[in-house]
Amino acid sequence: MASTLTVASPRRTDRQHLQDALFRGATRAFAIGVLVLLGGIVLSLVVGATAAFGTFGWGFLTSVAWNPVKDDFGALPAIYGTLVTSLIAMLIGIPLAIGIAVFLTELCPPPLRRPIGTLIELLAAIPSIIYGIWGLFVLAPFLQLHVQPFLIDTLGEVPVIGPLFDGPPLGLGILTAGIILGVMVLPFIAAVTRDVFLTVPSMLRESAYGVGATTSEVISRIVLPYTRAGVIGAIMLGLGRALGETMAVTFVIGNAHHIRVSLLAPGTTISATLANEFSEAVGRLYPSSLFALGAILFVITFVVLAAAKLLLLRLEKQGTR
Amino acid sequence: MMGAAALYYRRRAVNGVYLTLSIAATLIGLLVLFLILWTLTANGLAALSTKLFTEMTPPPGARGGLANAIYGSVVMTAVATLVGTPIGVLTGTYLAEFGAGSRVAPVVRFVNDILLSAPSIIIGLFVYELLVVPMGKFSAWAGSAALAIIVIPVVVRTTEDMLRLVPGSLREAAIALGTPQWKVIVMVIYRAAVQGMLTGVMLAVARIAGETAPLLFTALNNQFWSVNMGAPMANLPVVIFQFALSPYADWQTLAWGGALLITVTILLLNILARFLASWSNRTP
Amino acid sequence: MSADITITAETPRAPTLGRPIVRPQEPAVVAQTSPKVVIKDVRFYYKGYEALKGINLALQDKRVTAFIGPSGCGKSTLLRVLNRIYELYPGQRATGEVLVDGRNILDSGQDLNLLRAKIGMVFQKPTPFPMSIYDNIAFGIRLYERLSASELDERVEHALRRAALWDEVKDKLRQSGLSLSGGQQQRLCIARAVAVKPEILLLDEPASALDPISTQRVEELIAELKSDYCIAIVTHNMQQAARSSDYTAFMYLGELVEFGDTEAIFTHPREKRTEDYITGRFG
Repeated sequence: MASTLTVASPRRTDRQHLQDALFRGATRAFAIGVLVLLGGIVLSLVVGATAAFGTFGWGFLTSVAWNPVKDDFGALPAIYGTLVTSLIAMLIGIPLAIGIAVFLTELCPPPLRRPIGTLIELLAAIPSIIYGIWGLFVLAPFLQLHVQPFLIDTLGEVPVIGPLFDGPPLGLGILTAGIILGVMVLPFIAAVTRDVFLTVPSMLRESAYGVGATTSEVISRIVLPYTRAGVIGAIMLGLGRALGETMAVTFVIGNAHHIRVSLLAPGTTISATLANEFSEAVGRLYPSSLFALGAILFVITFVVLAAAKLLLLRLEKQGTR
Repeated sequence: MMGAAALYYRRRAVNGVYLTLSIAATLIGLLVLFLILWTLTANGLAALSTKLFTEMTPPPGARGGLANAIYGSVVMTAVATLVGTPIGVLTGTYLAEFGAGSRVAPVVRFVNDILLSAPSIIIGLFVYELLVVPMGKFSAWAGSAALAIIVIPVVVRTTEDMLRLVPGSLREAAIALGTPQWKVIVMVIYRAAVQGMLTGVMLAVARIAGETAPLLFTALNNQFWSVNMGAPMANLPVVIFQFALSPYADWQTLAWGGALLITVTILLLNILARFLASWSNRTP
Repeated sequence: MSADITITAETPRAPTLGRPIVRPQEPAVVAQTSPKVVIKDVRFYYKGYEALKGINLALQDKRVTAFIGPSGCGKSTLLRVLNRIYELYPGQRATGEVLVDGRNILDSGQDLNLLRAKIGMVFQKPTPFPMSIYDNIAFGIRLYERLSASELDERVEHALRRAALWDEVKDKLRQSGLSLSGGQQQRLCIARAVAVKPEILLLDEPASALDPISTQRVEELIAELKSDYCIAIVTHNMQQAARSSDYTAFMYLGELVEFGDTEAIFTHPREKRTEDYITGRFG
């Protein structure tokens, strides 16, 4: 008698193998599709930006011109605005986020930990257009009436940094955009930092408390050094968001293609320029210049996100060791 | 002796400052959340009426509703979710189930994480080049495609994470019955992970429901009622953008109404997703 | 909500070691047996490490063969070679021959799904699928047979009866398999393995996660199933091996130290290492 291991209908087993191969092939095809997607994005940016880079060359990066009538474009004001607003956002967001993470991991009474953590995470779920409309109607007037005059009268008089707080209080401008961005990235950084803090072995934490260290000492001498890579990764993730954030900034930055020393002056960012001008851009060089801006933004965020990802990956490996 | 005491007091003082700052940071975070929600509710409730859901977006200076924008947002979000979810689930399945030992999987994982946080306006540029230029016009299809591209990485990530949480013993038990691999995954593993995967889809929906930037030059906007997917279509985020920046009080009121609507929807989706996730954690 | 009594971890367990070994009486008439599985020089490699170092042994049909030995001795690995489930993991490799009815199942031509359908396996921890009790059993049957609804009902009932679970679940077949107690879940998994009519049953420490009462039921079940199957059981519980097997294999560090009639192994072990192990001097 032949073994039953071979007897079952060959058609059935063939069909099974075919289905298995098809399923596996389909998942693999879509996985490769994700790669193709990124490739397509890069390609579309390159193709779109060719005319602008062809005409202006590397000078595009350093030119401050933005004149659709004369077809003369430069990226510097938008790059400057993008970097400066993100810098302000980081200056506001990082300390607040770390403060929140410390509160959630070290200070918060356990029953409140989840609710407060959830509320902070909900802050991250609010879409950027809501931050934009809130910034435009609530934050900007408030800054204009109460904060900016004060800044102009105090910091504006200080020698070296005075010019940063010069000019009329407009409400809209680089500083307002930076503050809104800071509020937006705050929950992202806080949530990741909290998770990173939680990877510190409790033995380590407890033994530090055991020798009489205060909470602040435990955080600065044990927790932060232990989680440095992860916290930097979290900050980079937040930075990636701040750099690419569009709507919130577009509402409050004032959309002016120039570089002013004063943070109170209006400016623009790459994404705000795209949002404001792309659907109206006509001709050959104008849309292409916008694509070129998009390409620059993509390169900047790619570098930042890739660095963040690598740092977090390293932490993951360290954790499993 | 005095030195030690002084040192101790200094340490305590430093600690006190640290802790105060940390509490202050949390309070600031919560205050901002509260302020945003309060402003939204105060201004949005004024706009809330049945007209909001029945009337079209008005011309400048007139009253009206957001019916066409609500419809557009719902339709494009739905199409994007229906297209993006299967792609994301299959990709996530590849990473979790077939990725071991493959050289493609780590690259896909890395690229997916980049897509996850890539600026959404760049997705808009891509879809513009990919669909709007060849079709010669802005369209709801293009808008849906842009949103779908945002859905995919979110679903890929949660699917992979959730499938990895399924114990290997369940996989082995199904295999040991002589089950073909695709049936093991579809009929056993997916079932075990379904709640977590649904959570991911809901988070993705919440994410795209408020996305504005990628719609600006794909779906554009439409002042009128339109069900034509091949034409520009109104949608809440772009309408809010346009109306809020306008000088007309009626438009601004509608923008607040739309903003409240979106925010409530998104927060509810998030809370529901969390609920689902904690529920799925309880039944292993 | 369910009425089953679950023995919790707090329940004191009877000390197992040191109790007299009681073997059930052998049936007077022993059915004629033949080797169902012949294992020839099986070696197993994982990340350059040789986990099995040339195992030779035969499993008799309609008999229970127990594999004992300290953790890491390779007894579970050997079981996992028999249905080639190790192939799920890249980097694991087996050489040698495993003849089932004379056919080498380690051949690359062997269809794995078919092989596994003929060789049922039950794991250390219960692994009910996330579906109803009924579907848990029907799942495997539907893979290889097209049956009418009533035939399927019959098969499910039969399998549940064989696993001595029918009376406990017949009124809640539509409930999730996860709603059962641990012992019931394990019997459900045995029923699921039996339902596809395998020829060989592999039991990988099937009772190690169970309370004493469930363990006893599972052991009774093994004795009962023996009349139809070739059964291989891995256990670290020597009493269990002594009680429920006909043959016992003692493995140590990837080698088969001693193999023979269970009674002989437990009463007159030929090897010093076997004796040390079964008397609890190491392991």
